[in-house]
Amino acid sequence: VRYAAVLAAEEFQAHHWWWPETKEIIWGGLAFLIVLAGLIKFAGPPLKKGLADRSARIADQLERAAAAKATAEAEAAQLRADLADIDARRTQILADSRAQAAKLVEEGALRNDAEMIDLEARAAADIAAARNRSTSELQHQVGAWASETAERYVAQRLDDALRNELVEDFIAKVGAR
Amino acid sequence: MTDPLDAYAHALVEIARSEGNLDQVKHELLEVADQLDGHDALKSALTDELVPVARRQAIVEDLLGGKAHPRTANVVGFLIGAGRAKDLGEIARRMAARVAETSDATFAEVRSATPLNADQTARLSAALSAALGKKLDLRVVVDPSVVGGLVATVGDTVIDGSVRTKLDQLKTLL
Repeated sequence: VRYAAVLAAEEFQAHHWWWPETKEIIWGGLAFLIVLAGLIKFAGPPLKKGLADRSARIADQLERAAAAKATAEAEAAQLRADLADIDARRTQILADSRAQAAKLVEEGALRNDAEMIDLEARAAADIAAARNRSTSELQHQVGAWASETAERYVAQRLDDALRNELVEDFIAKVGAR
Repeated sequence: MTDPLDAYAHALVEIARSEGNLDQVKHELLEVADQLDGHDALKSALTDELVPVARRQAIVEDLLGGKAHPRTANVVGFLIGAGRAKDLGEIARRMAARVAETSDATFAEVRSATPLNADQTARLSAALSAALGKKLDLRVVVDPSVVGGLVATVGDTVIDGSVRTKLDQLKTLL
């Protein structure tokens, strides 16, 4: 125990409790510099490149965002214009529809009038034709009856004497030619 | 080109003349034609192509056998066999016209509702000859459809004084 206490006392006397020895500082400083140089040499460019890429990527994203924003604004403007156009077209279509409907109503009325006139004319023609047909049939029937009656009357009246008279009349007329 | 009906008429005239029975055959053929014109059923039976020719010729034989000259029956049967039954009347008239021409006359046919006596026939023939300026070979046919009066046919000329025609004209007017 005594020996350990002596060693501890020597140790305590040789090194400050927080300040290293000069050699250690020198060696430590050298090692630090070597590690730092290695880091600068080997890790510096990729790190620098990574930072540059990241900056470029961010700039690109910013540009794309700006472009997207511009496109969106353009589309929004277009939509607003389209909406205005749609309103105008709707108004125009409604106006055209009303005009066409009015025209159709007018034409329909005219057509109905024309059809009515045509129907009346056709009906009048049919009536006239039916009347003519009936008259013609009646005349034909009366003619047939009259003819039949005449034939029957002639057949009753035509005896041999009269037939002989007709023959003589024929001979006389031919002879007189 | 010769009309087939004229050819038939010419052949029949020559055959009948060579056999010496021209007038009789001509007269009988005209009579047969008149009978056919007056009997629609008989005319239909003799002109019906669906009835076998032998059957139609047998009908003719039954009707004319013993009543007409055998040559007449033979000629009618021949015309039926040749498919000329419907032309029998026209062939007989052309035959009569040819016969009349041989004596410088024109065949004339007069249809009357009643038979004419000899005096009427002679006067009618004379009147027609004078009117048309032709010597006529007149044939009188009794045809009740005439009703009254006469219809004279001389070639293409028709002189119609029949009551039938007057009634038809009246019917048309009515």
